[in-house]
Amino acid sequence: MTDDNRRNEQLARIARNNMGEAAADVPSEPIGLADPKISARGVNVFYGAKQAIKDVSIDVGMDNVVAFIGPSGCGKSTFLRTLNRMNDTIPIARVEGDIRLDGEDIYSPKMDVVQLRARVGMVFQKPNPFPKSIYDNVAYGPRIHGLASGKAELDEIVERSLQRAGLWNEVSDRLSDSGTALSGGQQQRLCIARAIAVDPEVILMDEPCSALDPIATAKIEELIHALRGQYAIVIVTHNMQQAARVSQRTAFFHLGTLVEYGKTSEIFTNPREEKTKDYITGRYG
Amino acid sequence: MAGAGLLFLVLGLGLIAWITGRARAAAFVKADRTNLNSLPSYHGWYMALFAVVPPLLFLAVWGAIVPALQTDMVLSAPAAQALPMDGFARASILSEARAIASGAQDTAFQPMAEQFVPLYRAAIAHYNWIAVAATVLLLFAGGTYAFTRLKPDFRARTKVERVVMGALLTASLIAIVTTIGIVASLIFETVRFFQMVNPIEFLFGATWNPQSTVTPGGDNGFGAIPLFWGTVFIGAIIAMIVAIPLGLMSAVYLTQYARPAVRKWMKPILEILAGVPTVVYGYFAALTIAPALRDFAAAVGIPGASSESALAAGVVMGVMIIPFVSSMADDSIAAVPNSMRDGSLAMGSTKSETIKKVLIPAALPGVVGGVLLAVSRAIGETMIVVMAAGLTANMTANPFASVTTVTVQIVQLLTGDQEFDSPKTLAAFALGLVLFIVTLLLNLVALRVVKRYREAYE
Amino acid sequence: MIDTTPRFTVDGTRTAPTNWDSPDMRKRIARRYAAERRFKYLGMGAVILSAAFLAFLLYVMIGNGLSGFQRTEVALDVDFPALTGGTGAAALTGPSAENTAASLDLPGVVSVAVEAQYGETEVPIFSSGAWQIVQKRLLEDPALIEARQTMWLPASSELDIAAKEGGSAQAERLLAALRAGDAVQTGFNSSFLTGSDATDPAQAGIWSAFKGSLMTMLVTVILAFPIGVLAALYLEEYAPKNRWTDLIEVSINNLAAVPSIIFGLLGLVVFLNWFNMPRSAAIVGGLTLALMTMPIIVIAGRNAIKSVPPSIREAALGIGASPIQVVFHHVLPLALPGILTGTIIGMARALGETAPLLLIGMRAFIPTPPGGLTDPSTVLPVQIYLWSDEVNRGFVEKTSAAIIVLLLFLLSMNALAIYLRNKFETRW
Repeated sequence: MTDDNRRNEQLARIARNNMGEAAADVPSEPIGLADPKISARGVNVFYGAKQAIKDVSIDVGMDNVVAFIGPSGCGKSTFLRTLNRMNDTIPIARVEGDIRLDGEDIYSPKMDVVQLRARVGMVFQKPNPFPKSIYDNVAYGPRIHGLASGKAELDEIVERSLQRAGLWNEVSDRLSDSGTALSGGQQQRLCIARAIAVDPEVILMDEPCSALDPIATAKIEELIHALRGQYAIVIVTHNMQQAARVSQRTAFFHLGTLVEYGKTSEIFTNPREEKTKDYITGRYG
Repeated sequence: MAGAGLLFLVLGLGLIAWITGRARAAAFVKADRTNLNSLPSYHGWYMALFAVVPPLLFLAVWGAIVPALQTDMVLSAPAAQALPMDGFARASILSEARAIASGAQDTAFQPMAEQFVPLYRAAIAHYNWIAVAATVLLLFAGGTYAFTRLKPDFRARTKVERVVMGALLTASLIAIVTTIGIVASLIFETVRFFQMVNPIEFLFGATWNPQSTVTPGGDNGFGAIPLFWGTVFIGAIIAMIVAIPLGLMSAVYLTQYARPAVRKWMKPILEILAGVPTVVYGYFAALTIAPALRDFAAAVGIPGASSESALAAGVVMGVMIIPFVSSMADDSIAAVPNSMRDGSLAMGSTKSETIKKVLIPAALPGVVGGVLLAVSRAIGETMIVVMAAGLTANMTANPFASVTTVTVQIVQLLTGDQEFDSPKTLAAFALGLVLFIVTLLLNLVALRVVKRYREAYE
Repeated sequence: MIDTTPRFTVDGTRTAPTNWDSPDMRKRIARRYAAERRFKYLGMGAVILSAAFLAFLLYVMIGNGLSGFQRTEVALDVDFPALTGGTGAAALTGPSAENTAASLDLPGVVSVAVEAQYGETEVPIFSSGAWQIVQKRLLEDPALIEARQTMWLPASSELDIAAKEGGSAQAERLLAALRAGDAVQTGFNSSFLTGSDATDPAQAGIWSAFKGSLMTMLVTVILAFPIGVLAALYLEEYAPKNRWTDLIEVSINNLAAVPSIIFGLLGLVVFLNWFNMPRSAAIVGGLTLALMTMPIIVIAGRNAIKSVPPSIREAALGIGASPIQVVFHHVLPLALPGILTGTIIGMARALGETAPLLLIGMRAFIPTPPGGLTDPSTVLPVQIYLWSDEVNRGFVEKTSAAIIVLLLFLLSMNALAIYLRNKFETRW
């Protein structure tokens, strides 16, 4: 038990440091937010006959980073992919329930999935730059969506996106090199720059650091801090320290259900659910 | 068929050797209660191999030399004095006599052959006896030697396995032997051709009108450029204009858009296109497509329209290649990691934007490799062009005109009235050598490109 | 045209988001969806066009060829007792029946009967081989010879064409007259399946070419299958990684892609000129095609062997089996269905092959089925090629009918391969 306690305190300390002044802004009610960016109610996801997500309701606000944690196979990534309808690409997947982006039902027939995904960007577990130049990787989104009216504007978007992804200084002199030639951490920041270039409102990150070394991970985490407030950010992670470091709110998933959702500091210091406590003290997972 | 009888005799005795060896080994176990090093059946195989392999090798060599021995025996008879001195007439009489003697022919067309039939019968019988005696002797010698070596601790399995290994290695060397055979035979005949016709004229000459007799140094109508052009025009240009878009788009549709049930049915249906024999395509092109194209060209007023056209052959060849391009494109697109597709879709690109701007560019090396293989197949294709492209060596870019190709001319030169050692006949081998080298290079480059591409995504 | 409000201010903080609902943006998205649909229809069009071409090809072949399995028959009254001098049924039985039949001068009998019934005609009514049918029927049923008979005999090629698709004016006139007398019927053309090549399309059949194909394939499979399997086993299971092995691999991959006509040149030079083997013989054709098929079998075999999981080899090695025993007792049986599938596909390709066989002389006119592997013979695809060159219109339907037979064989071989693959396909 002493080990558990120490671990608990450590996580809580990390979370408190991270919250800083922002902690006061976060409302204390567990699910409902006054002005949610994304609001999900009663979501169920099925893969064929198997139910992967059971009755999940959650709100994501604009001003904070939300972390989804939980043991592998708990459905956190699946749920993340329902938020920009990436599950549509899996033929056997079926989503029930109500998910709203700024009050619009994203699963309604009127919702245009192309537009939705432009507004809800995504960064994947494994860096997946296209086999094109760094410039073309970042310019890809603005080009297909027609966000730039000319070459100069496109250059500006590319530069700004790379700057915001903290990559500009490293690649500004070799924009025509292939994106796949970068290191893993750089590739992942390129993917973030690519997502930012489309000017999304929400960025979903599916374990963005799991394939990276600690130094690259630290850079991505810094980046998440810097981006906070400008985009609603949801990050899936299996690393609890990372959740404590980068997020203001944490949702704990277990076996497809949302067990607990609340301020990160509270989840790590004083979880209401026994299961959450067991998980963060390392009893399983 | 004395050979077949002998073969069965050898195999039958081989079976007996196998049974003997096995029984001998089993007897060891009974007598000494010792454990054998190898199972009895391996002892059997050891004995059978020793009994059968030497006679079989002997028979193979014997089959090659015995006709000459028989003929020598016939020629040494006094009646041979009457044979004409002319080598060709002599050989034809002898071969007819041999055919009658061995039962392949009933009556002689040349009266003189009848005389030699009994002589040949005698010679054949004589050498048959020698063959049977030698075979049986070898068989028993080998079998007996093997039998004496069988002991309880004899490593029969190791020995037998060594032979099996040798057989496996030999089988795999046949591929090399075949390649050497192709290269050697083509080069051998091509060198003879180039002794008569200047290689410069052949490779760079612009008129193709081969003559049976050549004047050294002059223009003999062996300029193959029009053939090379016709081959490229049909196989690498027209056929690819048909095959690449149709094959690529079919692959894209079937892998990215079609419902699984549609894919399940349409893929094999398209693959039937690759299984239709080329002679059927050729007939179809000549019977249906070519006349239709000629009528169309005549109606539109295109000059030079012919009933055998580059377009008819090229289009049909392109259709034949569709499944080939399609399956190469399919494989290449499937090799692009799914994360690329997800990455693009997650940015809000449509499916077609993802395919056009991410998947196909990423799969391009694989697709290019597949297209090179398809070109190599198209330029080596024979029957379609033989039946639909024509024989006139035109240097024209008019697809409605008749052009000829390397393969058409190979068939043409080798199937008419053949004159051995005529430059016309030998030219076919020079064309074959050029075709072989070009397809070899295309294949090597394509396989390398595809291999490197696969490795890039592994 | 595009919403140009700045998305980021200079210091990097966020301002107004992209206005996705602006009219320009809506129009742009609509355009993108239209492009998406066009692209999809383009793909669908490519599939449909390819399939339509296949359908058209089959339609043309079946449309032209089905009539090749039928023949027009015309009734002929033969007054046997008068024309054969009262030969009795007894003479047409027993061992000497054939000789008796030959002595009857049936060609003469038939032509006299035709003359008597129809007189002189502008075009011949009956096929020149009609008397052979009479002879066959008499030998089958000698009693026929003792009375006057009405026999249905195959019509001449000109009349046959006139009946099937319309022919020359004279033939049409004659046909109309015969039809008026109810003397024309359509029957199954059994001689197409049992006959051999002939100059008269009404008599031409595919049996000798078919037999030639069977013998050639027999030689091919006997040589290519064991060699291909053994080579595949060696390369996949035992070959050391060195330059020799690489050379073998390159050779095999390259041979599989060498144009088939090159194998024909090889066969011509090596088997015919150097080894003096007989021209036009099934054994040379089989050897040539075996060299062509072997690499296909090796490649299919290696893939099948590769898919046998290493754990099975380790298990067998672990209980003390020798490497040879591991392969022949465990790996080969598991890989066999895959190897067989590859073999059938390779054989199907060889069965449809024409060009290399032309070069080794298997394009002779073969009026009787070959008796052995060294006899002059031809194969079905070459027969199709030869008939396609005939000027006589009667050969068009024969060519297409032969194509139907060939395609049926190829399709059933491929179906068998697919069936085998599905039945024995194991997911490890």
